[in-house]
Amino acid sequence: MMALLVVETVILAVLCVLVGGLLRGYASVLRRLHQLDGGAAGGPAAGPPPFRTAPGVIEPVADIADPVTGQRIEGRDEWAAAHDIEGVSLRGEIVSVRTLGVPHDTVLAFLSASCEGCAGFWHELAEGGWTAPPGSRLLVVTKSAEAESPSVLSQLCPPEVDLVLSSQAWTDYSVPGSPYLVVTDGRTGRVKGEGSGVSFSQIGGLIQQSIADSRHPALAHRPDADRRRERDIDRILLGAGIGPNDPSLYGAAERDEH
Amino acid sequence: MAVTAPRRLAGHGLSVGLLPQWEARIYRRTVGAVPAATPASAPAPAPAKRSAQPYGAGWPGEQSHPILHLANFPLPAARGDYGTGAVERMGPEHIFLALLEFGADCLGTALYAPTGLPRLTPGQFNPNGMQRRVAGQAGYQHFFTEAGRPFCLYVVIGSHRQAVPLTKQVNAVLEQIEVAR
Repeated sequence: MMALLVVETVILAVLCVLVGGLLRGYASVLRRLHQLDGGAAGGPAAGPPPFRTAPGVIEPVADIADPVTGQRIEGRDEWAAAHDIEGVSLRGEIVSVRTLGVPHDTVLAFLSASCEGCAGFWHELAEGGWTAPPGSRLLVVTKSAEAESPSVLSQLCPPEVDLVLSSQAWTDYSVPGSPYLVVTDGRTGRVKGEGSGVSFSQIGGLIQQSIADSRHPALAHRPDADRRRERDIDRILLGAGIGPNDPSLYGAAERDEH
Repeated sequence: MAVTAPRRLAGHGLSVGLLPQWEARIYRRTVGAVPAATPASAPAPAPAKRSAQPYGAGWPGEQSHPILHLANFPLPAARGDYGTGAVERMGPEHIFLALLEFGADCLGTALYAPTGLPRLTPGQFNPNGMQRRVAGQAGYQHFFTEAGRPFCLYVVIGSHRQAVPLTKQVNAVLEQIEVAR
């Protein structure tokens, strides 16, 4: 009886050692996987490992931080920096308008009183037929009073529409001419779209789409790592001269379809 | 990281350092302004549907004085001197602040006897302190003299329940205001 008890105890001890070793093995596998996924050894996760490329391939550029949340926002380094706007309103107010570090987007419409192409924009503003997408702000920016006609602007622009005369803003945003629209992302402090057109209605859809896309749950909930890898791969392919629908991206059968 | 001084906006003897997310407007209402004629070279203006000055057209003989508006939300173009048109857009985390100068004839009167820009406490905000009550909001009004100029300070916070943190922000902004003699 005593011998049986001793044998059982020995078997139990051996099993304990085996289970302990097994758990330790699992722990080391998990630790290694954690490190491969960007976690620091023995500490909390510190982001994914850097994306490496072969010699001669363009290195991906680092992202910038969101000034509001402190989180890094992918791809924003490609966009021009936005600027707060200072100038004078048609009521003679000395104005400072924030476009940086704010929770909303700003649609900047660079217009002029003497610009033929701006007529459609002024008309829609007077008619009240176009408003900035929800969660964004419309600001009309003309050059300063020495280069504009404030009296004509007063007649063109309804008092409800925010208008700032600021040649400095035209310089800051490198505006090539009027009409010209720039959409800034207040959270990242970057330009998220710009271009020209004939009226707000014509380009309003694109503005709306750009703002809506950035808030769409499908984009918002995609894993960060997926988006980051996709962005880096796109950048490297573009750097190597391979754009969308490039034949080299497809196999023979797919090439025929394209 | 180096701490930089906030950008300043100045005019009409008033100056303010702009803290992050805050924007400001300094103005002196144009009294009895008449729109100028349109030059022949300019494109034909669209038909005006609304009044040129919905808030602030003034009255004949009115004396206008400098006004400073500060807000941590986008200030609309059309606003009353006491924030009509702006406070209706405020969310619970927003603050509107107006500093309005009055005429020299007010100097020395009992109403303007307190001196210096005040610092506020949460208990000073009151839903009945608003020019017009807006659900959830609370206001504060104080008359005083600073640098030999009579002023009224009018502050609206977006949420009376959040008075403690919002008052801290108000006081931080008041620290940034300078009045020239």
